[in-house]
Amino acid sequence: MSEQTLTINGVSIDHRPGETILEAARRLDIDIPTLCHDDRIEPVAACRICLVEVEGSRLMQPSCHSKTQPDMVITTESQRVSRNRQFSLSLHMADTVSDRTIAEDANPNRLFELADIHGTAGLWPHVDSPRQGRPMDVNRFIHFREDRCIGCALCTRYCDEIEGVTAITLAHRGALTTISTADELSLTDTTCELCGGCIAVCPTGAMTEKAALAYGKPEKELEKIRTTCNFCGVGCQLDLNVDRDANRIVKVTPPPPGTTVNDGNLCVKGRFANDFIHHKDRLTEPLVRDADGVLRPTSWDEALDRVVEGLQGVVTRHGPHSLGFVSSSRCTGEENYLFQKMSRAAFGTHNVHQCAAT
Amino acid sequence: MTNSIPEIRDTDFMLVIGSNTSEAHPIIAMEMKQAVRRGAKLAVADPRAIWMSSIADWHLQIEAGSDVWLLNALAHVIIAEGLEDKEWIAENTEGFAAVKETVASYTPEKAEEVTGVPADMIREVARAYATTRKAGIYYTLGITEHTTGTDNVYALSNLVLMTGHLGGPSMGMNPLRGQNNVQGANDSGATPVFYPGYQWAKDEEVRAKFSAAWGVEQPDVPGLNLNEMMKKVGTQIKGMYLMGEDIVMSEPNVGRLEKALNDIEFMVVQDIFLNESCRYADVVLPAAAFAEKDGVFTNTDRRVQRVRKAIEPPGQARADWEIILDVMDRSGYENPPYEGIADIYAEMASLAPKFAGISHERIEDDGLQWPVHTMDAPSTIYLHKGGVLRGKGLFQAVEYRAPFEQADPEYPLVLSTGRTLYHYNAATQTRRVDGLTEKQPEAFIEIHPRTARVLSVDDGAMVDVVTRRGRVRCRAMVSRQVKRNTIWMPFHFAEARANLLTTDAGDAVTGTGEYKVCAARIEPVDDPDVRNVFPGSYQTPVELTAKQ
Repeated sequence: MSEQTLTINGVSIDHRPGETILEAARRLDIDIPTLCHDDRIEPVAACRICLVEVEGSRLMQPSCHSKTQPDMVITTESQRVSRNRQFSLSLHMADTVSDRTIAEDANPNRLFELADIHGTAGLWPHVDSPRQGRPMDVNRFIHFREDRCIGCALCTRYCDEIEGVTAITLAHRGALTTISTADELSLTDTTCELCGGCIAVCPTGAMTEKAALAYGKPEKELEKIRTTCNFCGVGCQLDLNVDRDANRIVKVTPPPPGTTVNDGNLCVKGRFANDFIHHKDRLTEPLVRDADGVLRPTSWDEALDRVVEGLQGVVTRHGPHSLGFVSSSRCTGEENYLFQKMSRAAFGTHNVHQCAAT
Repeated sequence: MTNSIPEIRDTDFMLVIGSNTSEAHPIIAMEMKQAVRRGAKLAVADPRAIWMSSIADWHLQIEAGSDVWLLNALAHVIIAEGLEDKEWIAENTEGFAAVKETVASYTPEKAEEVTGVPADMIREVARAYATTRKAGIYYTLGITEHTTGTDNVYALSNLVLMTGHLGGPSMGMNPLRGQNNVQGANDSGATPVFYPGYQWAKDEEVRAKFSAAWGVEQPDVPGLNLNEMMKKVGTQIKGMYLMGEDIVMSEPNVGRLEKALNDIEFMVVQDIFLNESCRYADVVLPAAAFAEKDGVFTNTDRRVQRVRKAIEPPGQARADWEIILDVMDRSGYENPPYEGIADIYAEMASLAPKFAGISHERIEDDGLQWPVHTMDAPSTIYLHKGGVLRGKGLFQAVEYRAPFEQADPEYPLVLSTGRTLYHYNAATQTRRVDGLTEKQPEAFIEIHPRTARVLSVDDGAMVDVVTRRGRVRCRAMVSRQVKRNTIWMPFHFAEARANLLTTDAGDAVTGTGEYKVCAARIEPVDDPDVRNVFPGSYQTPVELTAKQ
């Protein structure tokens, strides 16, 4: 069956049953813009940005949703396609904040990025039917800004299909369609597990991080440092969004879907449990216990001397096997390597074990 | 894991046993949810009704600690119905006859009596597992944190070996590591029995190799594992160095341990916070958090990935590796002149063939899954491809042994402990995140409604949980998540430490403590301070959340 082909922009490609036009185009490195689409989620063809021409079809087809057929002839770039994109982009922009600085005050805005690339049909009057917000939602992590929402439902579909908790849903109709919860409860009172996936998929920054919003620096002004999460053993890759001048982690974002082991997903701890890093309780200086039993601050010099004296004193009195070294499975591989090397080479004992052993 | 996390979504059958995946490994749970959406069958074996069991085809709600009975009964059905892969067994394994003989007496009907799982359900799951090619087993501490932990793992691997569900994609035997770098810490040799790369410390040749590499004659006295070490604190162990570990929160039976800590002569704690164990420390060293240093973490599917320094540590805090280097230096040991953290990894890789092909340079963009033996070798996505690694997969016949402690008239309930989604282990980190403490402010114990009624305990009332080792006060959460004879509590809360209650009886091989089963009783208390909330409730009064 693999001899069957179809044509995209004049280029022939083999037909794979079940494949969408978007997927086939990607195999040819043809870029079709999308707004409401995410590879992890079932397509719904809501935003109409990805419409392309299919020969013999009176209407243009949503490429995220339409399956390819053998002998299909598809055109992804034409005057008609372009006119539709610009028209759709103008419609969506009339439904959200039009001032770019405000639109990008926190998260990146895919709508404006697409408008940059494809142009619009002009700036149209703002749709006068305000969505309902969620001012009573007291959760500390996720904030919904109704004026940015374009009703693409990526967030509710992610919540439903990927996280699988179905905490948020579309509510009301037509231009009033908004994102809500059962009985309009606070997210903390729903099945929501605060994973924040709704923030990551939102193309317009309607779903945003409460703390980062309060911090006030847009994501584009922050430096992203790729690292590995320090909680469970999945090894999620995450980007620490750092304000260099303030030496501060403002928020955590996932790498794009399809690039790392976590496929663009994070859980509540990976995404939001980072306040501890800047917590006032952090230890900032070495402490040694005084003769009167109180821990007092001291210099590194004195503290390190005390450590070596203390450990070597025990070795002198009771031998090396009276020492016990407990390392942490939260520390790095190199640190665990050095720690067991210290136990075995510097103090002469195999009494070394990492904390997760029991 | 023999296999990789991204393979889970393509699997056709999953046996999830002793793993509350959606709370402890949420991202792996997402993969499993996707597989289920696609039509994969899911069997969850857990004493509690957990999130995953709500979407499972079968929930095998076993009595805590009866895993070997269940697993042997599954093996019994597979063999009795001739569903084992005879050809594969003959080619790739040894010791099958003994297992066949042992499991012969583990009939599903008798298993139902011990485990509480209906015999027919055991049959259905056994058939589904044996007859599905892409069938994976996923387990975590519900399997290993028992005095029979090693037996449980053997019983699981017997299932894998008799069906040949090994050496291909989306199958295998997959322990989900509970912490970011459990795999990496073991890989690095932070265990008394192994040098880096799982080279036996008892092997004279291995010791000679490291004696030469490190320039110091290596000790030939076997080391103590963590469980033994903790039991010998104050007697054999007179000095301790703790790096990033809060033993008085996370070790079992900490009441006994804390008494012993008073007899210790010298203790160093190196951490990012003044943790509970610092009460016994002579020196406390301030360390850098993960965002403040460079290095690697190795995840549960053997993926070595970079950790990168994003910000400077606060005050005088320093990276753990820098501190260790200074301590080694001052104790008179001369390390080679490392120019940075990459050199330290390179030294380890040069001594451990499994990681010989891994360097910081190679994992700059993407992680590598070990074993990677040479610098041009690719990741090992799944193990045992084209034959079992050790040549022949070894069956291990295991008989059921009861947990160390069983319910009796004095302590009629079975206490099990674990982790929740919103906190993490000793919770030194997560309890310092407001949004999390708001969602889950305090300790609680899950009690079945009928048990609660018999004890006259209301939902949200304060109760004492009592075992032979200790007594802890926390709030009752009346819930059908647990069975009538079982109670469950998280171990995150310093003011209600579950590990004052747990037993430090350990597995004979690994020393891992039996956190999942001990005998307990509930005593209602007349506490005037009871607020009208219950734990896990989201209607949290403000004064509770304001407390740090």
